[in-house]
Amino acid sequence: MTALATPVRTPVPHRLSSTLLGLVLPVALLAGGALVALSWRDELPDPVATHWGTDGPDGFSSFGGALAPLLLGLVLCVGAWAMAFWAGRDGAMRRIAVATSAGLGTLFALILLGTLSAQRGLADAAQAPGVGGTIVGALLGALAVGIAAALLVPRDAPLPTSARVDPDAPRVPLSATQRAAWSRTVTAPAAVVSAVVAITASVVLVVALGAWPVLVVPVILAALLAVTLVWRVTVDDKGLQARSLVGWPTVRVPLDEVERAAVVDVRPLREFGGWGYRLGRGGRSALALRAGQAVEVHRTGGRVLVVTVDDAATAAALLNTLADRARA
Amino acid sequence: MLWTIDPARDEPLFTQIAAQVRAAVSAGELHTGDRLPPARVLASSLDVNVHTVLRAYQDLRDEGLVDLRRGRGAVISAHPDYTALAAPVAALVDAARTAGVSPAVAVALLQNAFHQNPED
Repeated sequence: MTALATPVRTPVPHRLSSTLLGLVLPVALLAGGALVALSWRDELPDPVATHWGTDGPDGFSSFGGALAPLLLGLVLCVGAWAMAFWAGRDGAMRRIAVATSAGLGTLFALILLGTLSAQRGLADAAQAPGVGGTIVGALLGALAVGIAAALLVPRDAPLPTSARVDPDAPRVPLSATQRAAWSRTVTAPAAVVSAVVAITASVVLVVALGAWPVLVVPVILAALLAVTLVWRVTVDDKGLQARSLVGWPTVRVPLDEVERAAVVDVRPLREFGGWGYRLGRGGRSALALRAGQAVEVHRTGGRVLVVTVDDAATAAALLNTLADRARA
Repeated sequence: MLWTIDPARDEPLFTQIAAQVRAAVSAGELHTGDRLPPARVLASSLDVNVHTVLRAYQDLRDEGLVDLRRGRGAVISAHPDYTALAAPVAALVDAARTAGVSPAVAVALLQNAFHQNPED
């Protein structure tokens, strides 16, 4: 057995802000949506329209049934908040979880209010107008609230260590005067496939429904997926950095927070439930773009970052070497 | 790929950088179509001036190993099979070391051999 120090599990930081932005805010939005809907109750037809097809409303339910999606929203929000609260050691992970929760709360509340407000004063819900504008408005509103919440999430405080890297961890031979860097691109085949499928499907749906404003959905999807298709991973005297070829987003581990790096084999679906920037068991975060070899960086504060990339052995060894050299 | 430069050596830094690309191609680590890091990124990583990296990339373009295009960056272009030389070059270096022949002399001998047997 190698004498590896058991990582000290520091408590998850910034739990108050995660709770305010990722639980209190979305629950308030959902509850507020429900209260406003209740205040409209007497003006609404019974039943109300809850589902729309190509020729206007095609699904109806009682007033209570129309509120039911809020419960689904609540479950999703609580789930996302729980991730930030219990597994949010990493600032980026907290930001994603909190933004998801705040955005979903907004989305569910706005869709409910948008669809109901159009039915106020109607005698028959079948006369309800289309909902394309409501959906686009709700999506944009959710995006705006999600981004605002993400920006309010506190960043990780620097947590440098001066401890030497485990001597048994792999190294690259470097002379004292040599400077070294490692760089490589990695492509996400799953993202390419899902991008094509999702965008095609939503375009077909938009054309079939004739709901042109909803075209904003495939456009947003395409933009989101485009920035995550190809990444450049770099190891140098600043640490490890993975940056989308578009230039954003960037995942970074500063050199002075590296405890050790190693090579691991990753199966994204099994270990992280999918591809992309993911959270796995034990609060391990990963940029899992494909199955196979990956660099696993143990970072101060009990954080672990996994980045799938070819030639991970060299990347890990260089990271250990540079980290050690900076602390000599 | 791993990039190392040594400012303590006599060889200019841009030559060292270009040599790394050649060696990686010869070792089969880099292939036609592979993208080199943007000059700005590599310069920042190796803590050298961006013009040093650009000079290396330009030299590689001049010898036909790299395509430099605005917006696309530096990409390994179609090139002769450098990997075919990996084994003989390693053997030459081994032989020179075993015999105690200095690198400069070994290179001079190699150059001379090319001049003695010019391609027709």
